[in-house]
Amino acid sequence: MNIVPNRGAKISVKNGFRGTILEFLRNSLEKGCFDGILIPMRVPADDSYAWVLVRDKPFLDNANPIAPIVSVQGAKALTSLTRKGGGNFNVAAIMKPCDIRASIELSKLKQVNLEKITLISYDCPGTLEMSNYIENPEESEKIFGSLLDGDVWDDKFTKPICQICDNFSFPACDLHFALLGTENGSIYLIPGTEKGENILDDLGIEYSEDLSNWEKKVIELIKKKEKQKAEKFELVKPTVEGFDNLLKTFANCIGCHNCQSACPICYCRQCYFDSEVSKPNSDFILLRTSKRGGISFPLDRIMFHTGRMSHMSLSCVSCGVCTDACPVSIPVADIFSYVADKTQRTFEYKAGNSTEEPLPMREYRFDELLEIKELVKDADGQD
Amino acid sequence: MEREFLPKIVSFLCKWCSYTGADLAGINRLQYPTSILPIKVMCSSRVDPVFVIKAYLRGADGVLIGGCHPGDCHYQDGNYHTRRRVAILKRVFELLGLEEGRIRLSWISASEGPKFARVCNEFTEVIKSLGENTTKTTIFL
Repeated sequence: MNIVPNRGAKISVKNGFRGTILEFLRNSLEKGCFDGILIPMRVPADDSYAWVLVRDKPFLDNANPIAPIVSVQGAKALTSLTRKGGGNFNVAAIMKPCDIRASIELSKLKQVNLEKITLISYDCPGTLEMSNYIENPEESEKIFGSLLDGDVWDDKFTKPICQICDNFSFPACDLHFALLGTENGSIYLIPGTEKGENILDDLGIEYSEDLSNWEKKVIELIKKKEKQKAEKFELVKPTVEGFDNLLKTFANCIGCHNCQSACPICYCRQCYFDSEVSKPNSDFILLRTSKRGGISFPLDRIMFHTGRMSHMSLSCVSCGVCTDACPVSIPVADIFSYVADKTQRTFEYKAGNSTEEPLPMREYRFDELLEIKELVKDADGQD
Repeated sequence: MEREFLPKIVSFLCKWCSYTGADLAGINRLQYPTSILPIKVMCSSRVDPVFVIKAYLRGADGVLIGGCHPGDCHYQDGNYHTRRRVAILKRVFELLGLEEGRIRLSWISASEGPKFARVCNEFTEVIKSLGENTTKTTIFL
């Protein structure tokens, strides 16, 4: 939560949180606020969710705005939709806060065009681990349902990265559904931008009383998550600190680059690590064994991970799709989240926090980071 | 008899300042160790962090990045971006417990031949005190 909003509209809950959000979407489609809605929908095989751009109201019946798993990052879907420009259709994208944060980072990187997109988010209870869900979808749906209905959102079944997420509420979106701490069967719909306010006006939804109850609950939960985050980072630290530990942690890496292809921030059409330049010929590989006495395959796994850290950690939103994508269960997201937290602090930047903050690598100040250059004094005391 | 350890320092030198500075050091017949392996780049901001990581993990004992002084970049602001990039790279190295002391950024202008020689001497001494890079003998990379 970056800015504390001061007003929201009260909406009464019908058919649970999901039903209420769907009802709002149906209304807005009917009134012509949007031409389409990008929303997760359960796949026909029932064991996963996919992003679907819905144009006809009846299809919304099968959609699930609060999906228990994330198979593809929402920002990736938005990139596919808008990489060639915003188009003429107004589209509402209902996504988790981490999807929205990634979309904002990508809009700064000119991969997403948010002009015609209305970003709608909600207080996110976290998502389940993909492997568990696929094993037993029905049971998982039940677990997630009871989690969502519960008074205190218990995160013991959610992904590890969701357990340490303190950005689960009110990202820089146009509209936000405040689900936490609401009483008497009603939730709040909070506009974050003028675009959002206009939609509420179009739909004729009245603003109502204060949001203190929601605010209190959110701050309480943020505190809990921050504590869990600090604890988690303490656990991650010894697994990556030191060259030997780093090698151990990534020892199982099979070099499939799934983490990179699932990552919403890794948008480069041609990644260095997939290019021909990074594939040496046999003579060169043999040369590299001369001092070592041998070399393991796949080549350059540590280089891939450290390289990716230095390339994208400033924009990492800690969404956790990299861990989901890893076939050998390396906790990639925990490690990247740990590194990203520290690198973003260097420039007092928080990925996806606002559309206004420029990317750290796009700007500079004249008088910063003077300490990174070791000073060499001349005889006359000049640097 | 064991030979004295002479480090290998991969040096990315910008064409307009540091590389010309190195030339000047040569013309002036200034002494600096043969540990420096110069690579000419058009601007210090051309140095992708991956270049440095690659050099480090393939066994370079040190990596030197030389650019124009702040404000003097041939491309107006390239070196300010270099500074931010190196800062992040050093932060990542620090977090992973790798030896960030093996990476060095120096501003050397085209007229600073003596400074180039001094940076090379100093950095070589620093690397000598750090010893050989252990990645040189690591098989499971």
